[in-house]
Amino acid sequence: MDLSLLKELNRALRERQSVAVVTLTRGVSAPGMSVGDQCLVDPAVGSALMGPLRLSGAMVGQVLEIIAGRESKPLHIRTKELECDLFVEVHAAPPHLLIVGAGHIAVPLASMAHLCEFQVTVLDDRPQYASQTRFPTADQVRAAPLVTTLQSMRNVGQLDRHTSVVLVTRGHQHDVDCLTELIGDDLAYIGMIGSKRRIRAVWELLESEYNLDRSLFGKVHAPIGLDIGGRTPAEIAVAILAEIIMVQYRGPQAAMSMRG
Amino acid sequence: MTGSLYPKLQQLIEGGTTVAMATITMVKGSVPREVGAKMLIHPAGLHVGTVGGGCGEADVIRAALDVIKDGDPRTVRVDLTEDISMDSLGVCGGIMDVFIERCGSADVG
Repeated sequence: MDLSLLKELNRALRERQSVAVVTLTRGVSAPGMSVGDQCLVDPAVGSALMGPLRLSGAMVGQVLEIIAGRESKPLHIRTKELECDLFVEVHAAPPHLLIVGAGHIAVPLASMAHLCEFQVTVLDDRPQYASQTRFPTADQVRAAPLVTTLQSMRNVGQLDRHTSVVLVTRGHQHDVDCLTELIGDDLAYIGMIGSKRRIRAVWELLESEYNLDRSLFGKVHAPIGLDIGGRTPAEIAVAILAEIIMVQYRGPQAAMSMRG
Repeated sequence: MTGSLYPKLQQLIEGGTTVAMATITMVKGSVPREVGAKMLIHPAGLHVGTVGGGCGEADVIRAALDVIKDGDPRTVRVDLTEDISMDSLGVCGGIMDVFIERCGSADVG
């Protein structure tokens, strides 16, 4: 790898930008191309930058699709002129976890999510709970009204499809207010705390009072978390984070040992 | 996660050390690590990261030392499909392709 490309890559990584390194790993020799040639692709710009590897517009399009999927992959190219293998190494911007409600579950959830390399935001309207001392590893702790803060976060692009939202506020009315605000957003994950019975009541309320269509509730993970039998706040946080990671990687719900 | 290896790589290159970088580019079946996992192979054995350890990684290190010498990037296929027996404890059951390239001052592109 060439030093100037490496420096540019390290800069993008420091600034937590998404970027891909594309390497020619095998190919019939085409003029000016050799195995090991590389370039960087920046999805914000939508084109290849730096490095000797030249990609056609169609190839860049395929690379951008792989970046959107957040996972590194080989890419086989076959055109009239050329047959080669590229490797697309994706460095996706870290996933974002927004925890609404800074109570008992939020504390272990924020620190575990930090360990799993999420960027963590905690939001609560009670300053005594939403404090950096209570959430020392969180990237952002906001003590502000819930719904209006969600709106302003949306306006600056912080509610995107790399964002997972966990609704664990102190009262169900607050969860419902936030849920109705977020139901139309294209998020990585949205989950809401509550017992089965409680959640059923919430759906009925949303249908009758808010005139929301029942099909919208399908994407809401509620009751939240994988069924691992957890009881303490920390154990429930494990169940929630496990579910978010499972959705992120579209993984199976069964334990590794129960897979066929 | 593989991103954390690049600052180290820059440090090594800027310090005048030539290393090889190995990247898993394809896996089939059960293998110890995922596509995209990386390892820096250092000529003096101060490796960084892992492509899964064991015999497979030893093959990668051997090939990488050749790449440091000759500069020709190449793909090495690591086969972990031998029968599971007491003689070969490191067998996972799959195969993986590992791309190895030279990085550093001797890198002529």
